[in-house]
Amino acid sequence: MSTGSMDAAIAAQWDRVQGQLREEFGDAAFKSWVAPMTVTDVRDGAVTLAVPTRFIRDWVLTHYADRIRALWNGENPAVRTVDVMVVTNMQRPDLTGGGPAAAAVNDPVPGSPRAAAMESGRRTEAAAAGRAGTPASAAAPVPAHGGFMAAAPTGQVDDLSASLDARYTFENFVVGKPNEFAHAAAQRVADSDQVSFNPLFLYGGVGLGKTHLMHAIAHRLRERRPERRVIYMSAEKFMYSFVRALRHQDTISFKEQFRTVDVLMIDDVQFISGKDSTQEEFFHTFNALVDQGRQIVISADKSPNDLEEIGARLRSRMASGLVADIHPTTYELRLGILDAKAEQMGVEVPVKVKEFLAHKITSNARELEGALTRLVAHAQLVGRELSLETAHDVLADLLRAYDRRVTIEEIQKKVAEHFQVRVADMHSARRARAVTRPRQVAMYLSKQLTSRSLPEIGRKFGGRDHTTVMHAVKKVEELIAGDAAFAEDVNLLRRMLES
Amino acid sequence: MSTDPGKQLPLDLPHRPALSREDFLVTPANAEAVVWLDCWPRWPGPALALHGPRGCGKTHLAHVFAARSGAAILRAEELPDEDIPYLLDHHRALVVEGADRLVPDPEVEQALFHAWNLVKDAQRHILLTGEEPPARWKVDLPDLRSRLSTAQTAAIAAPDDILMEAVLVKLFIDRQLRVGPDVIGFLLRHMERSFAAARRVVAAADTMSLAERRHITVRFIAKVLDAQNRDGSAKP
Repeated sequence: MSTGSMDAAIAAQWDRVQGQLREEFGDAAFKSWVAPMTVTDVRDGAVTLAVPTRFIRDWVLTHYADRIRALWNGENPAVRTVDVMVVTNMQRPDLTGGGPAAAAVNDPVPGSPRAAAMESGRRTEAAAAGRAGTPASAAAPVPAHGGFMAAAPTGQVDDLSASLDARYTFENFVVGKPNEFAHAAAQRVADSDQVSFNPLFLYGGVGLGKTHLMHAIAHRLRERRPERRVIYMSAEKFMYSFVRALRHQDTISFKEQFRTVDVLMIDDVQFISGKDSTQEEFFHTFNALVDQGRQIVISADKSPNDLEEIGARLRSRMASGLVADIHPTTYELRLGILDAKAEQMGVEVPVKVKEFLAHKITSNARELEGALTRLVAHAQLVGRELSLETAHDVLADLLRAYDRRVTIEEIQKKVAEHFQVRVADMHSARRARAVTRPRQVAMYLSKQLTSRSLPEIGRKFGGRDHTTVMHAVKKVEELIAGDAAFAEDVNLLRRMLES
Repeated sequence: MSTDPGKQLPLDLPHRPALSREDFLVTPANAEAVVWLDCWPRWPGPALALHGPRGCGKTHLAHVFAARSGAAILRAEELPDEDIPYLLDHHRALVVEGADRLVPDPEVEQALFHAWNLVKDAQRHILLTGEEPPARWKVDLPDLRSRLSTAQTAAIAAPDDILMEAVLVKLFIDRQLRVGPDVIGFLLRHMERSFAAARRVVAAADTMSLAERRHITVRFIAKVLDAQNRDGSAKP
């Protein structure tokens, strides 16, 4: 490989070659094909250029390689051939338009179990990226610890039991009027050594915290009485396991597994509905455990009596303990949930944003927490501020049922209003500055916000040529780059049109 | 199409699109999606949903992701017949393609719901693809709907000029058609700027150049665009 001083000479040569190419092929082609290339090696009269993708390589080889060779040969007569090779991942996406904000996201969180589990392949990739000269350490918005990746669930203590989510503890459960009864009942089960009601039947709509309470019971029990065997599983897991046992003619060991259970928790029991053999098996397991004085906790989306597809015997058995329901969230509870979640994630969320979310996302706690997680993760990934504006953008799918398709007519109308000119001036032949500038902005926005072809946009602006549209787009881009107030204006218009 | 004498009848030969990361160009329109996939397995939850218009590269990215993560790729309608626990024993992630349009089938909905839970339980990940973000999918099962809406979303936006150019070049190369930069430049200036339109025009150019045994020049491509506009085939 070349020495430092040679590198500088080569860099200077490449710079001049690029300048030439830009002049000969134009800005657009330059940006697409020439700019992504980097010089990786010059030796024995051969220049090697790296490109990020195979088709850029093919394209460059077919259309530019000869010219590059000729130009370089003019700079340095020793250079006789040009090779192009593909280096994947050399090009880091740039999300902010500023710096390579996302680069460091690739680095695993040090010490996290997931990071340790990553294949070594990832490291080679990162190394390749480094070699290609990506500034990997540039200001990354993702904190080294915590970040958006939540704590991994705790390991499985019992083969039969599903893994527990470490975040689902009593401490993290936000209590309010709608769920205080269920919460108290769950705590009672977790804290007492006698079975006081069997089963505990928790029910409520989706995403209100049934699973959270069950995990909390399991965590508390494992902490308080580690010798007791606590099994938490979803009804469908029970079903799968049973069906598997049937298939392998191994139902005896399936039953055996449950015999020594001290506390059995079955989540979302409504999914056992309608499957007769599974129901039957569940019924037997259930009875056997209750007879031995073991605790059972069940959750469902409806009360036992409303579980129509479950047989009457099992239904009445499930209703024979304590039935506790969880009601839909109130605004206050939602705010509380957001506070707790933000604290858990270790992020500062502006009150305005929390109020907005609590006001808008009323369906249930899961969706509310999910919305906050998505918002925070996105903001950290792209380095955006946690603001109302970001929330509007990131959660558009939750806040609105569909995205509006903007038409050129709407753009013309809004832009005319904004600049206080007549809509007719968008089509007119007038060339006064007062109307040409708004017209250019409208053309620019039409190109950005619709998929109309340039000739078509031209037609909608009084039958203008597509070159006029191209000129307008270029003009507006220049103004945006050079005039912050103008850029802000255009941005405002875009937001108004998009919302 | 008319049947001019001497016009060759082209076979619609299936062309195999190149689907590796090397063939994928990252631009601002798809950068966010790429970064999310590169972040794996450090996702904020069990699911990531990749959404964007037809032809924007969702399948391509899903395959790149699968190659790296060892994910199993399924179509949503195949879910009810799959042994998900088995798949999760052998793969660190699942990719469910076209998860948006097939969901209003109760069986598929239930299967996706169970798959979601099993994925979460096994500490695996699931990548969903669709045209719309999952919160807008038509789903009857409330349990599934509420889970879907918590999926991290990564949008692939309508193509910017750089991406549009790359997509056109890729589509031509996939069909082993040689065109010059002038043809691409002409298309960029004259065609509708959408992934679907790019596919249509390249497919039409392929067919017509085969049938008429002509090279694809600017004049030729102008004729193709013209024919498409006349057919009114510029529909989305």
